[in-house]
Amino acid sequence: MITRFLLAVGLAILMVVSGTTSYVYLSSRQSKAVAAPQKPTDPTPRAQQLTLPGTIYLAQSGALYSFSAGRFHQLTAEAGWTQPALFPDGSQLLAVKRSGLFSDVYVLTRFGNVTNQLTSNQAPVRSRWDTGANAWSFYPRLSPDQGTLYMSYDGPKAAGDGNFNVLMQVWGIPRGGTIRQGRSWTLANNYTGGDMQPVPLPTGGLIYTKYSYDSNSNRVGQLWYTNRAGSAGKALTSQAANCSQLWWLPKARYAPPPPPVPSPTPGGPHNGPLPTPSPTAVPTPPVVKPIQLTTNLGFDATSPLAWSG
Amino acid sequence: MPLGFKPGHRVRASRGRLSPFRTLTIALLAIALSAAAGGFAYFIPAAVTAFNATAQVVNVPSPSAAGLLVSPSPKPGQATQSQGAFTVLLLGSDDDSKFFADHVLTQSMILVRVVPATKEVTMLSIPRDLYAHLSTGGFGKIDGAYSYGGAGAAIATVQQDFNVHIDDYIWVGLLGLIKVIDAIGGIDVVTSNPVLDDYYPADVYGGDPYGYQRVAVLAGPQHLDGLHAMEYVRSRHGDLQSDFGRSKRQQQVLTAIRQKAKQLAPQDIPALASAIGGELKTSIGLDRVARLVPLAASFDNPDSIRQIVLVPPYTRGGGPDGSITPNWNLILPLVHQYFP
Repeated sequence: MITRFLLAVGLAILMVVSGTTSYVYLSSRQSKAVAAPQKPTDPTPRAQQLTLPGTIYLAQSGALYSFSAGRFHQLTAEAGWTQPALFPDGSQLLAVKRSGLFSDVYVLTRFGNVTNQLTSNQAPVRSRWDTGANAWSFYPRLSPDQGTLYMSYDGPKAAGDGNFNVLMQVWGIPRGGTIRQGRSWTLANNYTGGDMQPVPLPTGGLIYTKYSYDSNSNRVGQLWYTNRAGSAGKALTSQAANCSQLWWLPKARYAPPPPPVPSPTPGGPHNGPLPTPSPTAVPTPPVVKPIQLTTNLGFDATSPLAWSG
Repeated sequence: MPLGFKPGHRVRASRGRLSPFRTLTIALLAIALSAAAGGFAYFIPAAVTAFNATAQVVNVPSPSAAGLLVSPSPKPGQATQSQGAFTVLLLGSDDDSKFFADHVLTQSMILVRVVPATKEVTMLSIPRDLYAHLSTGGFGKIDGAYSYGGAGAAIATVQQDFNVHIDDYIWVGLLGLIKVIDAIGGIDVVTSNPVLDDYYPADVYGGDPYGYQRVAVLAGPQHLDGLHAMEYVRSRHGDLQSDFGRSKRQQQVLTAIRQKAKQLAPQDIPALASAIGGELKTSIGLDRVARLVPLAASFDNPDSIRQIVLVPPYTRGGGPDGSITPNWNLILPLVHQYFP
């Protein structure tokens, strides 16, 4: 038997606790679809712990991460970093650091320390009133001899021209040189998204993705090839195939992808003979069961991963 | 009278104490009530927001007799009575400080027809620069109808020009779309081409409604938050197809929002409602919204979503004041086919 006063006090406390608990419980039961991706370095169980050979470099939320021996390591702060690419000798990394108006290519050690800035795409002080005077650099790659930087680039531009056409073309500049020493290697279509994702070949040429519109007004990607600066290049795939984002696996341990099959129709005007990869019979690729390495980590899918095999 | 006994004392003592059974019953009742109150407190802001945003009364003026290009719109309900189908006009506006409230242009106008029986959805984007007869009188770009007469004028204009019956409308502002997408945790889209723009309006968070910023949404599968999704659907300067191109992207993002919304739980509703607050208006009543939510979740076949953009030859450029001239001879049969 308890007094009514004690009962009232107890009930009041019980009701406050119960009501608050109900509110907090509902708040905590929001769906995981709304939750932000985990940081790769969070110490939570992964879908599958798998040790891969070498190191994979990738980007999430503006930070670069490495994945080796089954563990992630954060290499940079969340500061607009994306699109890591290994030097051909695997000694260092190229990466893009993106701000609101421009992006630049940097050289980093494999531990994420910046050692060099290769481009300077911010508009000069006198031109900063014009957003169009800034430039983007994306998808940096070094030539096999590491002497030339290839990238998608939309400059150089003059302030005040008011041009709406953001013409991304593949440029090559001597590593350590300035953009004035560089040359455009491709001739992009206007108002389409341009030429992106260059992959330098050991033969000295480039394979890249050219974006355009097909006859049905659909936006499509095609793989193109060029072997010298200023060339119009040649289509390797048809518009109907809608190819993009070419990526090579490390040759040492994995079978390379089949060579692209040239389109039956010539891709565009070009000068002189163009040594394209020869069309060969492509064997049917074996069915490969994918293995999920991570869950809900939200990696930047427009940032190709780099893998030192 | 015995010593120490006071009249009424025993009675007062019995009133001050309760039996364990009664105490337990009261405690359980209190817990249940307070838990319900906690739940009520959790959902009540969403309910208030939903109540304010839905069931907007819209006055659809009768089409003016002069200058009609097409026959009058079909009788209300004529099309909708078949199999419960209904047509909604989606309106999206720049509602930043460049514009007076409720006098905004509709940068995006999408007619959506839903056929529950066959689980088919048809989206038809109306070019914002389409040169049309406005329900408020005269001719002009169709995006001006809303600014002259609100949702009613926009609905009446589309009804009379496209010869369709519109059951309801949904209007969303710039910030509303950004917040909605953020509230559902972003969306997943596959961008076919890079979307690049050197002169994208910096009017949302830039502080200067007349300022510019740069946009570069790269190609490929990606997760977009609200701001980047807005950039993706709003940018048009770097697109050969300009407004048509972004209309396709708008339809793509709508589909992605629907796909993501299917993963939400009822507990997400308050955050979603809080995000929407004031940036969304619709004539659809709350009761109908409750019926439509499970209906939308049951539409799980992406092939059943038909997307139409009025590219040439349905339209052509070179109209007055930079407008787009409609080819009604082609548009009306198309509209009649999918919006009977």
